[in-house]
Amino acid sequence: MYLTLNNITKIFPARGGVGEVTAVHNVDLEIKKGELVTLLGPSGCGKTTTLRMIAGFEFPTTGEIILDGQKINSLPPHKRDMSMVFQSYAIFPHLTVFENIAYGLNVQRLSKSEISGRVNRVLDLVHLEGYGGRAPTQLSGGQQQRVALARALVMEPKVLLMDEPLSNLDAKLREEMRTEIRRIQKEMNITSVYVTHDQIEAMTLSDRIVVMNLGIIEQIGTPVEMYRFPNSRFVANFIGRANFVPGVVKEQRDGRLTAKALGEVITLKDVKRQFNQEEEVTLVVRPEMVRVKKSGELYKGTIRRAVFLGDVIEYDVEVSGQLLTGLETDPHVMTLFPEGEEVTVGFAEGCIQALPAEKKHE
Amino acid sequence: MQTRATSQDSPTPGQSGILRRIREFTLIGRDPVLFMSLLLSGIFIFVFVVFPLYKSIVGGFVSKEGAFDVTYFARYFDDYYGPGLRKAFLDTMLMGLLTATSGTLVGFIFAYAVVRCNIPGKRIVHWLALVPTVSPPFALALSMILLFGRNGLITNRLFGITWVKGMNDVYGLDGLVIVQTITFFSVSYLMLRAMLERLNPAMEEAAASLGAGRFHLFRTITLPLLIPGIAGSFLLLFVESLADLGNPLFIAGNKTVLSAQIFLAVIGEYNYQKASALSLVLIIPTLVIFLVQRYYVNRRTYISVTGKPAGSQIMEKDPVIRWIVNGITYLIIAFILLLYATIIYGSFSTAWGVDFTPTLKHWTMTVTRGVEAILDTTFLSALATPVAAILGMIIAWLVVRKKFTGKDALDFSSNLGGAVPGTILGIGFVMAFNKPPLALAIVIYAIMALFFAQVIGRKAHERVIILVAGTIAGVLLTRLEPRAMYFYLGGMYLVIAVLMMISQRKVVPSLVAGLIGVYVMSTNWANAIAKPIATYSRSLERGFWSNAIYQFSDHLKVLIQPTDALLAIVLVFAGVFLMQSIKKSGFRMAVGVLGLAVPCALSFVGVPFAMVGGAYIIMAAFIVRSLPASVRSGVAALQQIDPSIEEASNILGADAQYTFRKVTLPLILPALLAGLIFSFTRHMTSLSAIIFLVSAKWRIVTASILSEWEQGGVSIAAAYSTVIIVFVLIAIFVLNLLVNRLFKGRGSVDMSQGF
Repeated sequence: MYLTLNNITKIFPARGGVGEVTAVHNVDLEIKKGELVTLLGPSGCGKTTTLRMIAGFEFPTTGEIILDGQKINSLPPHKRDMSMVFQSYAIFPHLTVFENIAYGLNVQRLSKSEISGRVNRVLDLVHLEGYGGRAPTQLSGGQQQRVALARALVMEPKVLLMDEPLSNLDAKLREEMRTEIRRIQKEMNITSVYVTHDQIEAMTLSDRIVVMNLGIIEQIGTPVEMYRFPNSRFVANFIGRANFVPGVVKEQRDGRLTAKALGEVITLKDVKRQFNQEEEVTLVVRPEMVRVKKSGELYKGTIRRAVFLGDVIEYDVEVSGQLLTGLETDPHVMTLFPEGEEVTVGFAEGCIQALPAEKKHE
Repeated sequence: MQTRATSQDSPTPGQSGILRRIREFTLIGRDPVLFMSLLLSGIFIFVFVVFPLYKSIVGGFVSKEGAFDVTYFARYFDDYYGPGLRKAFLDTMLMGLLTATSGTLVGFIFAYAVVRCNIPGKRIVHWLALVPTVSPPFALALSMILLFGRNGLITNRLFGITWVKGMNDVYGLDGLVIVQTITFFSVSYLMLRAMLERLNPAMEEAAASLGAGRFHLFRTITLPLLIPGIAGSFLLLFVESLADLGNPLFIAGNKTVLSAQIFLAVIGEYNYQKASALSLVLIIPTLVIFLVQRYYVNRRTYISVTGKPAGSQIMEKDPVIRWIVNGITYLIIAFILLLYATIIYGSFSTAWGVDFTPTLKHWTMTVTRGVEAILDTTFLSALATPVAAILGMIIAWLVVRKKFTGKDALDFSSNLGGAVPGTILGIGFVMAFNKPPLALAIVIYAIMALFFAQVIGRKAHERVIILVAGTIAGVLLTRLEPRAMYFYLGGMYLVIAVLMMISQRKVVPSLVAGLIGVYVMSTNWANAIAKPIATYSRSLERGFWSNAIYQFSDHLKVLIQPTDALLAIVLVFAGVFLMQSIKKSGFRMAVGVLGLAVPCALSFVGVPFAMVGGAYIIMAAFIVRSLPASVRSGVAALQQIDPSIEEASNILGADAQYTFRKVTLPLILPALLAGLIFSFTRHMTSLSAIIFLVSAKWRIVTASILSEWEQGGVSIAAAYSTVIIVFVLIAIFVLNLLVNRLFKGRGSVDMSQGF
């Protein structure tokens, strides 16, 4: 492994001075060379603290960080050979674009010609040819973002760290920069750690996603794994949307699981988790797995809400007292069911995953 | 008390708290830059803010014989002194209330005119509104009397009023309040202007769209949102008014206010106990308001005002209101201009009130006899300015960027020196540094020595040896006759230089050590250097050049002979810088012992910290007074710098020192320059804090103005005032030019931070 976090815990003194807050709790993470890993989670989940510990701005209370076989726990940031793109860009306001990007190279006392060569190359890479002489204040938000990225890339760091780099851009630009960052990262084969709270960003950029919540890692996996096989209600809800349907296991054999849910028996495929007979489970039913038809489906339901979104129609259907969200994606369907309409509802049973029923302590 | 309570409830939090303190201390220990900054600012504030204030407060309870005594407090309640004292107290409070009210009102009108009424000549109005902050404290009282006094230009000449007994004249509470209003409204103007600018127009637009009429809107939205600013300005002006000494001395007439009472107790009766007791009466309302301001008003300010100045401003649409506001503003501006013109003209008129023909005779007097005061003031102000500005930046940096126990205390006490009335600080300085207790020197030396040994020694036994041997050697050296001692001390630093050359083979540090040695020795040669200059000055014809050159010889001596106890502190820091990196243990210990012995001897030679009558105590008072302004401008600058900018530099491979040089310093340089401007202005114009510290040798212009006034030299007083105003304006102009040259519009200086 290229970068390893071994059982990292970070404890801060609480605000006001009394007590302590555990920001990150027993985090284990292994990142391969050239991989882009996203730390995803709601605010306060410990993702930024984890990133800052990798960068060296914070030191872990316990645990160790290993980079390329070397323990770097107490190494200060300037000796770690990493670079970082900050949420606020942190562009030096008193330096030009060129001087900003050359900053780290100047620290290394490289020759003038090498510096200008490398800076110009990276300016090309981020499509800012000819912008070197400008002051940061003369740049748009998106251009400042590119300067921040270029300044980090020009160092050819062992690890590139990005702390919500796109959160200050508008939606259109964000989409553009997402693909841009991914392109450059693959082109340069830079090991990267990316922090975001935006699941779509995580899905589009990452080789692997790490979902964090309340200081612990909930799940690690590729975007497909995270979506298809969530480990917990939290992950299922954070990546994509889901209906949670209570059920009882009837039988499990060769990955097939039959369960009784909402009064009917359904059969799930590819269930990796083992359950006992009669165990209570929660079924993760994504809206696109819910079919809403006039007739012919397993369940009877009543339309409670119908919204036309253009590419899909979204329904809230009440089935046996539970509201389920379903999508109609067939472009041939031209009309919506009115609210109050009696319909039938079916599941794409093969895609549904089961989780152990969580106690409702919230 | 609180820790005990928590540790009884559950032992763990208390324990972990202690552990955290220890951990924190070891972390600070690992970061020598942080350690030194903390120590430097901590010691300065302890010695020159906390200790004098403590002395001045306690002094009221201690009689000449040293016994506990409340005579002067009891007098407030007896029948003989009571009525007069209570009257003075009430008059003081009344003055404060009136000045605060009218100053805030004028400030609001100015702010409204500039922000909302688009007053023609906005920039000029703005700068003229700030002029009172850069003039000496009683300039306006002086010109007020010249204009409206019993022989005033307007009252007597223009209207032909001859004063008869019983007539209400400019002297008294009314004149005083007018003068104070003009003197202090600038602060209120700046505060309210900032608030008005930052008021989000959307809020008023929202109210208007909900159907609020313009008066209703002003009453229910604009005014409540401005309340924190108005309250803040009111409290600030109240305190400024109470602390004001110059104006009451000039224009209060037969009314007595507390600050003048304190002044008379010292200057007239030499009764420091009485002065201290009166100070306590004055300091209580001041401190209460300071605390309210700091912990209540400021907190509310952050809640009600959001972020940056809003892009668009609502303009006053009603032309009647606009022209009323603008009209009043112009009138006050005209009045201010008249007052300043009067000062300048006053310095040229033959005999004010009798003969207004212009003459240069007062100016001839001012630049010959007065040149001493002018040069002394400028020299000491200028010398103290960089110290104040840099110390301010250090404290701002500690407060904004660093986490440590006692941060709030540092922040609070650094502001305290500027917040308390200057008279109180001045009394504290005299009481603290006339015959300072040896304990002070011991405590300071102990802290410095422990720090020195901790950093220079690598192992426990090294530290103990450096500490013990250095201290013993130092104390023994003080036994020597002083002249010989300085030679020995200088010689020791020369030995250090040689040892460092042998062990490290680096030229620069050894050279620096050598120069320090020569510098310490040169204390003995100060007279030899200064004497020829003084003799030469005497050989000249008496006049400006003769006096000026004589002063130069004095100033030279100040540079060569600093107060020993202060030099000791500087030498400890210099020693740490120089000797830290010596590798070989033997050399390090030898150098460490010598390096500690020198400051130790300097710490205890003569009566340590006995500074009264010298130049350094005046500079210390200057710095204490100007520190809050430079801290504030530093804090404002640092808060605007996103911490991730420093982190970005850090992760790009730059260490803390490189980051500071290439990123932080360029970004706070405008604030540093602003700090320099504020400090210099404050130094040149301060009166109350240094009035008790001036001596025959060190004269200060503001004090000279006062004595000229007392002797009837109105025109000379006016000339002195003009000199101060001109010098300050030149300094501001030059520094502003520098800032604009250096930054070309980038990172502009926010002048309002300092006042």
